[in-house]
Parts: sequence; structure tokens; C-alpha cells
Amino acid sequence: MTDTVTKAHPHQLALSVGLRDDATLSNFYPGDNALAVVAVRAAAEGGDEHFVFVWGPSGSGGTHLLQAACHAAAAVGRQSLYLPLDQVVAYGPQVLEGLESLELVCLDHLHAVAGDADWEEGLFHLFNRLRDAGCALLVAADAPPRRLRIRLPDLASRLSWGLVFQLHGLDDAGKVQALQLRAHARGIQLSEEAALYILHRSPRQMSALFALLERLDSASLSAKRRVTIPFIKETLGW
Amino acid sequence: MAIELWQTCLGYLQEEFPSQQFNTWIRPLKAESGGDRQLRLLAPNRFVMDWVSDKYLQRIRELLAEVGGDRVTEVVLEVRTGAASSARRPARTPQRARPASTSPARTSAPRAPSRVERVQPSADQLRQASEPVQPDMLMKESGASAKKKERQADVEGGIRHQTHLNNLFTFETFVQGKSNQLALAAAQQVAENPGSSYNPLFIYGGVGLGKTHLMHAVGAAMLERNPNAKIVYLHSERFVADMVKALQLNAINDFKRYYRTVDALLIDDIQFFAGKDRSQEEFFHTFNALLEGGQQMILTCDRYPKEISGLEDRLKSRFGWGLTVAVEPPELETRVAILMKKAEEARVRLPHDAAFFIAQKIRSNVRELEGALKRVIANAHFTGSRITTEFIRESLKDLLALQDKLVSIDNIQRVVAEYYKIKVADLHSKRRSRSVARPRQVAMALSKELTNHSLPEIGNAFGGRDHTTVLHACRKVAELRETDTDIREDYKNLLRLLSS
Repeated sequence: MTDTVTKAHPHQLALSVGLRDDATLSNFYPGDNALAVVAVRAAAEGGDEHFVFVWGPSGSGGTHLLQAACHAAAAVGRQSLYLPLDQVVAYGPQVLEGLESLELVCLDHLHAVAGDADWEEGLFHLFNRLRDAGCALLVAADAPPRRLRIRLPDLASRLSWGLVFQLHGLDDAGKVQALQLRAHARGIQLSEEAALYILHRSPRQMSALFALLERLDSASLSAKRRVTIPFIKETLGW
Repeated sequence: MAIELWQTCLGYLQEEFPSQQFNTWIRPLKAESGGDRQLRLLAPNRFVMDWVSDKYLQRIRELLAEVGGDRVTEVVLEVRTGAASSARRPARTPQRARPASTSPARTSAPRAPSRVERVQPSADQLRQASEPVQPDMLMKESGASAKKKERQADVEGGIRHQTHLNNLFTFETFVQGKSNQLALAAAQQVAENPGSSYNPLFIYGGVGLGKTHLMHAVGAAMLERNPNAKIVYLHSERFVADMVKALQLNAINDFKRYYRTVDALLIDDIQFFAGKDRSQEEFFHTFNALLEGGQQMILTCDRYPKEISGLEDRLKSRFGWGLTVAVEPPELETRVAILMKKAEEARVRLPHDAAFFIAQKIRSNVRELEGALKRVIANAHFTGSRITTEFIRESLKDLLALQDKLVSIDNIQRVVAEYYKIKVADLHSKRRSRSVARPRQVAMALSKELTNHSLPEIGNAFGGRDHTTVLHACRKVAELRETDTDIREDYKNLLRLLSS
């Protein structure tokens, strides 16, 4: 299929407002996962080890790392793709076709397709093609390769072949640091007390904490105020 | 110019769309300047192309017009058909070996994503349709990412064969052991006398035990003897994909000619032919033609030919015409040797006792062994530490914790009871009938081999038996494994169940 545009319609370019808060390796607070971050960066940038598998429960940072890897790859001119398997499972494994033409493939939520014979075979063939093509692969799942209930032994053994890292969630001190790091990246000065204040009142998953930060960020922008404890109270109605 | 505009446009798209959407749909698009004010955007597959076309193309067009005026007036979105650029290949990639995965058949496969109703051939497909097809060859590279030149052999009629051999897999890098010596000897024979000694050579065994390595090693050795030999390695999936494409494009004769003019055809994992009748038929004819022509065939499979369900009987019987050899899981000494070799290749000093420790803990297959070693090496580089047994214990603690759970005495008893279809309580009981006593002895021997528990502890876990009973059981099982094929087979199966 070919789509062709024959006429161009110039009109007002939409101005980009909100500050981007993409997942990058530099705004990932590593905690106990420093080595995993190093390995992900190396694979994304074209290092020797082509396959890294990270696992941990939801909220432990797998999605962040994979998306950040796409950023890191782009920064060195490598073409990549991030594929959340849980969201494309209904389309079947043809989604995986041709991905070896890229330089980095990031497959998130691998557990979502574990046990499905078609998907497992598709992943197995993809793995072989990526390996043959020298393409890097990053996988995130909620369990280590052996615990994923993969039925195809050919795939299961391949998943154990790379560098496998368990992602350790952050403790409270780590969460405060992560919040401050993320705030800093947005240009917000967030004191430790303010971060603790948020942590003690909000749902404790990192995604929820970051979502609050985003709300606070835009509120502080429009109110032209700093993010202090009174401001947080007022904005979030706590 | 078009590419620069696309770069600018990318910046805006990145701002406008959530990063997940951007990473999934926009990032994989490769931009190429398509001539007169045209921009070509190449998606890795039809699924991505259709999605982009549906959700983002309109915005892309608007943005291009806004930032570029009439410098780009046409945007073409299509599926990319080329291999990756050579630039991203690992430095150690050999000049002749690593296959560049062109996957035309996959990108142009007729299966469209279910959500998309419009299925029309892409520009590339149409172009290809008017050209003669040589499987896995002649694929048009999309623009700048010129396909890496690989070893190719010209044959009559201008077909060029690609070997797809990986030169890391040679006889020199293969670690020999009791578990694979027969397969290795057969492979060496075939390399010396291709087409005449064993044809086909059929190598079977579990995953990650070196079947593919051996197959590549034969190919490499044949090429060394005769650099002009036309040797083609491929995975069964590629054979199927090539055939599908040839059928689509009405080029099945080219397909046949390609595969029948090789000196050696190496096909990996033929169990994936199961249930694919048309591919089996085509493969059957190729197989016969090659055998008649005295060209070598090497096949690998995860099981004995007769056990592959969904495969035609005539194929199964033909697979047995040459030599069928098994590769078994490596025993402890071989696992140690493999680790030492891998460490040497990675230029890392691995003390023997440390290698021994890993080999003792990880027994399922070589891939897992390699994965564990990689993890240890990564830790050592990161922390600047020397590799010792203690360091390994710390580096692999996640993995070993899983392993320990798997090989607790409780679990061994459960698995053994299930295997012999008896109750766990029978293993603890005083009953001495053969149907219970033998499994109990096997379970004790496995506990001794797989766990670090002492003999008294093991005896205790089996209904408070004396440690001399455990010792006797271990000796008896060792003896039976030499003399009784059933026990040997049972023990091997149980080991596999408990360590993978």
C-alpha cells in the first residue's frame, strides 16, 4: 500500500507546551539496579551483549528502562521500536515480522504472551532472526525466564541466554530520591520534606507518584509558584 | 533535504505524542529521500505501516507541510524490505559468517493484521513481483542501508548462494564431552567426506546442547576445504517463508533451482515443518533431489525423527537413511570445560573451582550456563572484582535461589512420585515392594546429587531412614544406571525435569 500526499496545506504550527517528561536513562533512579541500567544502555548503544532481560513486578521500572533504551539508541543514530506485548496480543505474532530490520527491539510485558503457542513460536523465530542480524533485544517481564511458563523449550532456553537482571523496587528513601530526580529533570526544586510529604499521602507506585508530579508541575507553572508543601496541599486537596 | 525535514518533524511528533506511542510507532520508521520532493517512510512491517497510516500519517503530512512548505509534497509509506545496515553488526562479526536477515517473505506475507481490512501489495511487493525470485536473495535494499556483502557463491544461471554461516561456530570452539562425542565424530566425518559418508546427517537432542554449533562447524570445515562450495544454512522457518513468497510471486521454479543447486544444505530445527504440508512436500522433493545428486544434507531437530508429530511418514523414514545421532545434556566435566572456554573467549580469568561451582548449579543446557557466566562477568566488570566462588554466589543469588527451590528434597520427592505414579507418602513409608523401593532409591540418589544436604539429612527426609540406607541407594542407582536402560532413562528424564 502506498499513501501519497500530493498537496500540502500549510497552517499554524501547534505550539508545544507542557514539558516533556519522557523516560530516559538519566531520569531513572537506579537504586539497586545500577548494573541493569549499565547493561541496558550498552545494549541500546550497540555494545557487545545483544540481549538483556529484566524482570520484576509492575512498577519496578522495566517499562521505563525499555523506553529509555529507545531514547538512548536514537541518540547514537540507532533505529528502535518499543512494543508493549500486552497491548498488541490480540493482533497475533505477525506484529513481530520484519523487526530484524531495526537495530534495537524492546519487548515489554513478555508474560502477556507466555503460554500462547503461536506467540511463543513467533518470538522464537524473531529471536533467531534478531540474533542472525546482530540486532539488540531488550525484554521486560514480571518473572525470570524460568518462571514465565513458556511452553516452547526452544524459546525458554533462548530467554536464559542473555544477561538477566531482577529489578529491585525502591524503598522509601529511594522513592524520595527518584521523585527529586524526576522533579529536577522538570526544572522543579522539590525539597526532601516535600517529596516525603507526597510519598506519605499518595499511592506508592512510582507511576502514581510521577503522575502527581506532573499535575504539580503544570499547576505550579500556571500559578507561577514553587512546589512547596502548602502548594502541594492546596493543589492536591490534601 | 527531505531527511532533514523529517528530523525536524520528528522533534514535533515527539512533543505531541505520548512517549510510548512515539517509541512504538514513529521511532521505527526509517526515512529516505525519494527523489523529487518525495519522502519515503519505511515501516518494519505491515502492522506498523497500517497503524501509522491510520493514526499518524495525516499529522505527519501536516507537519511536513508546515515546516517544509512545498519542499516535500509527497509522502510514501511502505514496508521496509531490506536487511539492517552493516554498521550495527558486532565487531567480531566475521566477514563471511553472520547472516544478514533479509526477510522479504515475512514482510510481504499475506497475513494482514486482523484489524486492517485494506490489503494491497506495497510498492516493493509489486516491484518484486515483476522480478525473478531467488529465495532469500535479490531483495531490494531500501535505499542507503546497503546490504552487507556476505560470502556468496555464483552458480550456473547466476544464482548466488548465501551461506549464512556463523564463523564463531567451528569445530575448534566446540567443547567435546561424553554427551556429544558421537555427534561430533559424525559431523567431522561428514565435513571430510561430504555427500558420501552419512547423508543426511540428522542431529537431534534437547535445546541448547550444541546442535546448531555442530552443523555450522561442518559447513565451516567444508568451506575451508573448498572455498567455492555452495553451502547454505537456514532455519526451517526461512525455508517455509521463502517458499510462501515464491508461491505468491509465482516463482516456485526459481525457488527449486536455488535449493537444488547447493553443495550442502543445512536446515535447523526441522520440527517446525510439522503441520506445514505444502512446505513438507517441497522439502521432500528438494531432499530427494539433493540426495540423488550426492549433495550433503544436515538436519537438526529437538527429537528423534519418528517422534515428530505432524510430519509425513515418508519424510520421517528418509531422515533415517543416513546417520541419526543424539546430543545429550553435558555432564559436569563438560560443563566446566564449556565455562572455561567461554571465559577464555571473553578474556576473563575464571578459577577452576569457580567454574565448577557454576557447573554444579546449572545443569539444564549450555545457553543457561552461558547466561549465568555472562552475568558473573558483567558483575565483575562493573565492580572491578575478581571472580571467586563467593563472588559468583553473590552475583547469581537470584538465579540460585530459584534453582534451590526447584531442587529441594521436597520437590524431588514430589517430581519422582509423580513420575512413577506413586504417592509422596509411599516414599516416606516403610514399604519395601520394588514398585516403591526403586523410586525411593532414585529420589535419594537425586537428592544426593542435586542438593547440598548431608546423608543423614536425606535419610531423615525419607521417613527417618539411616544414612547408610541413603548411601546404599546412591550406589545401587549408580550401578543400575550402567546396567539397566530403564533406570538410566528414568534418571536422565528426572534430572531434566528437575533442572530446567
